[in-house]
Amino acid sequence: MVKIAKGINIPLNRAEGDLQINVEIEGGVISEAWSAGTMFRGFEGMMRGRGALDGLVMTPRVCGICSITHLTAAVEALDTIAGVTPPDNARRLRNLALMVETVQSDVRHAILMFMVDFANREAYDKHPLWNEALVRYQPLAGRAAVEVIRESKRLIQVMAIIGGQWPHTSFMVPGGVTSIPEVSKLLQCRIIVERFCSWYERSILGCSIERWQAIGSVGDLDAWLDESPAHRDSEVGFFIRFSREAGLHTCGRGPNRFLSYGNLPLPLDTAVQGTGSRMLAAGYAVSTTVHHFEAAQITEDVSHSWYEQGSVPVHPFAGKTKPYASGQSGQLYSWVKAPRYCGEVVETGPLAEMVIGGNPLFCDMIEKDGPNVMARQLARLVRPTGLLAPMSVWLGELVDKRGDAFYRSVLTIPDGQGAGMIQAARGALGHWVKIQDEKITHYQIITPTAWNGSPRDENGVRGAWEEALIGTKVKDINNPVEAGHVVRSFDPCLVCAVHCLKKGRETGIVKLGFAQ
Amino acid sequence: MKKIKNNVDAEVDISDGIPDTGCERNFRVIDALRESLGNGKMEEKALKTAYWLQGGGCGGDTFSFLSSESPDVIGLLRTLDIHLLRHPSLSNISPATHEALLEDIVAGRQELDILLVEGSVICGPAGTGMFHTVDGHPKKERVYSLASQAQVVIAVGTCASFGGFGSDDAIEATGLQFVKKQRGGFLGKDFTSKSGQPVINLAGCPCHHDVIAGALMAAAKGVNLELDKFQRPLEWYATTVHQGCTRNEYHEYRVEESDFGEMGCLFFHMGCAGPLVPGPCNKSLWNQQSSKTRAGVPCFGCTDPEFPRATPFFQTPNIEGIPLSLPMGVNRAHYMVYKGMAAAAAPEHLKNRKSKV
Repeated sequence: MVKIAKGINIPLNRAEGDLQINVEIEGGVISEAWSAGTMFRGFEGMMRGRGALDGLVMTPRVCGICSITHLTAAVEALDTIAGVTPPDNARRLRNLALMVETVQSDVRHAILMFMVDFANREAYDKHPLWNEALVRYQPLAGRAAVEVIRESKRLIQVMAIIGGQWPHTSFMVPGGVTSIPEVSKLLQCRIIVERFCSWYERSILGCSIERWQAIGSVGDLDAWLDESPAHRDSEVGFFIRFSREAGLHTCGRGPNRFLSYGNLPLPLDTAVQGTGSRMLAAGYAVSTTVHHFEAAQITEDVSHSWYEQGSVPVHPFAGKTKPYASGQSGQLYSWVKAPRYCGEVVETGPLAEMVIGGNPLFCDMIEKDGPNVMARQLARLVRPTGLLAPMSVWLGELVDKRGDAFYRSVLTIPDGQGAGMIQAARGALGHWVKIQDEKITHYQIITPTAWNGSPRDENGVRGAWEEALIGTKVKDINNPVEAGHVVRSFDPCLVCAVHCLKKGRETGIVKLGFAQ
Repeated sequence: MKKIKNNVDAEVDISDGIPDTGCERNFRVIDALRESLGNGKMEEKALKTAYWLQGGGCGGDTFSFLSSESPDVIGLLRTLDIHLLRHPSLSNISPATHEALLEDIVAGRQELDILLVEGSVICGPAGTGMFHTVDGHPKKERVYSLASQAQVVIAVGTCASFGGFGSDDAIEATGLQFVKKQRGGFLGKDFTSKSGQPVINLAGCPCHHDVIAGALMAAAKGVNLELDKFQRPLEWYATTVHQGCTRNEYHEYRVEESDFGEMGCLFFHMGCAGPLVPGPCNKSLWNQQSSKTRAGVPCFGCTDPEFPRATPFFQTPNIEGIPLSLPMGVNRAHYMVYKGMAAAAAPEHLKNRKSKV
């Protein structure tokens, strides 16, 4: 069979930062992929020498859609250095803000950034559901697009009530939070969350959260789909029907290894259940077999990234971020570094949280089909089902215990080092911080997109979505929307463009930008 | 001659089922626009075109803009008859279509009424712009070619206005017409857009949603906004962030805080820049709800050309308890006497503040 390799250009915008992906296509199937971040912002370098608390102001500005998550990682690192445990009310308020940010990100990404491609005329006008997709997802006009913009905006008001504004507040400080809303405002937050929840159940799920949570297998999912028109017509139902028709359950496998740092530290006195001290468990999974997570196993490799080269991959407490732009030479092709766990490439994000948390539906999906685009995106779309109820519980507890402490005074930050490791909307986020004489001496950030969108490592092993692209069938090389779906299922925090090279020619690959 | 007019939609009621989506109508409008362009009747169009360009930034201004209310983003664009040619987070046009669009704008075949730039122009390393590229070319080239075609150029946020994050670093982050307080920037001090206006700087990190919406309204309706010396519209940048702060009474009587979690003024010790910088944060509330100072977070001065400042946040550099930087236009000697007397006159209920924020 004659191999075909042609140059193509794939729409991968609608993310934060700039990304360029080069692929080779042989016989209609992607055979090689390089993912390159094309923007260097150098936040880590800006941090050195600044005041000890400045990470609380600077790092939320790394990303406009996950600004609270950076704030959370930054403050947890400082809590550790200061040796302080925030009071229960601070835990509740911090968690609530982080959960609101995650929920709004999940629905916005799903509808405005992923499913909007279903309305792409060039790609899908032959798909039997295309007309309906257009009615739902047409940018700034489709029914679901309009609803999501309006409903997510209302939910965001909770973050503004707690933290003053969104994005880019700094209401989390070592020892707690800067204020607690008045009782009437807490009650208002509860109404906002409950209202959002009823919209989410009606429009996104088409059923109650309880009904959704009763789904424990792929068989259950099929039965749920057949159970009522409300299920089939909901965004989840439509997504599943469209995805199966488009074959999204058959592509985008990736490394089949998963990572979660765990998330949402539990207040000491709370009705919300969790694993150990957090609501969501940390873990490392190979397929659906979950192992204990050890932070010391994280390294960053820069063998293919545009940074001054070290001899071996190092832990982020030892890592440096010195840009080294050499033009188009050699093997360096990205501003994204290559983080690895136990030397392995891993996937992080909602699907990883589902697997590590032992969600039976998603474990069954992976055991049957392996990881895939549909499972990964469905995990994101339904993640709020696990968050909305605890949010209401914590708001109720805040109303009841409003008089309790929300801050323990931390007047100075002692010398030391600490890590803030949490789950952002897109997956595992870590800040590694060292403080000396009330100044920052070291700041390294590993974002979820670095895990998912890394370049190759010193062993030549592809990053997670580079790997997931391999084997993807591309029907029309002039509009390779399938490759876009694969990368976008990881919710890249980058603006992307996919290019294809002639086999064997690596010229023309270059520069990628990365929102860091 | 055919005149194109987009219908103003009623707000879609989302409480009970979803009626008409407007998407077919949008198609009709866009098709009609294309037809009009094909017939060379561009001057007749009522529709304004806008292009949103992403530079070196975090996307925060886009997410701020999505919090606009009355009207929201969708209602705003429809009401103003703005056709958003492309937004990096919201559009789904293919790269090929996007490339063609860019070529048409640069060649003058597609009119561009409003160019919005979010994020700085990354010029590093050493002026090459290679820290931020598109298809191997510096993205800054695109900023220049679009700005030269636009009727109005709007810098959305502090990074686009003044360079912001990275203006002192290797990435050489540059504002459209300023680097910090220095006029010039990427487009040069003499740049004016086709309408004759310089770049309109919507400072803020992020820029307040009401400011972005308001500036769009002005641009769409052909209203030239009066600008301050840093080209920020006086409409939103003539009063300080301090105006409307709920801690004003504490400030007035110099009831100060030196730790988090209290109700008093954050200016004297906690690094609050509210009295130092202009902005609408306490006049038009964020996300229709609050502001940082109301939630106990000091203002970080993000509308200032020198944001982020070099000195540590959460600290006020001061001499004997009086801040080095005094509120806009204040005489130091007078201020010290006034604050001394004010502190002595502070009412008991402020001094004994018991309830926490």
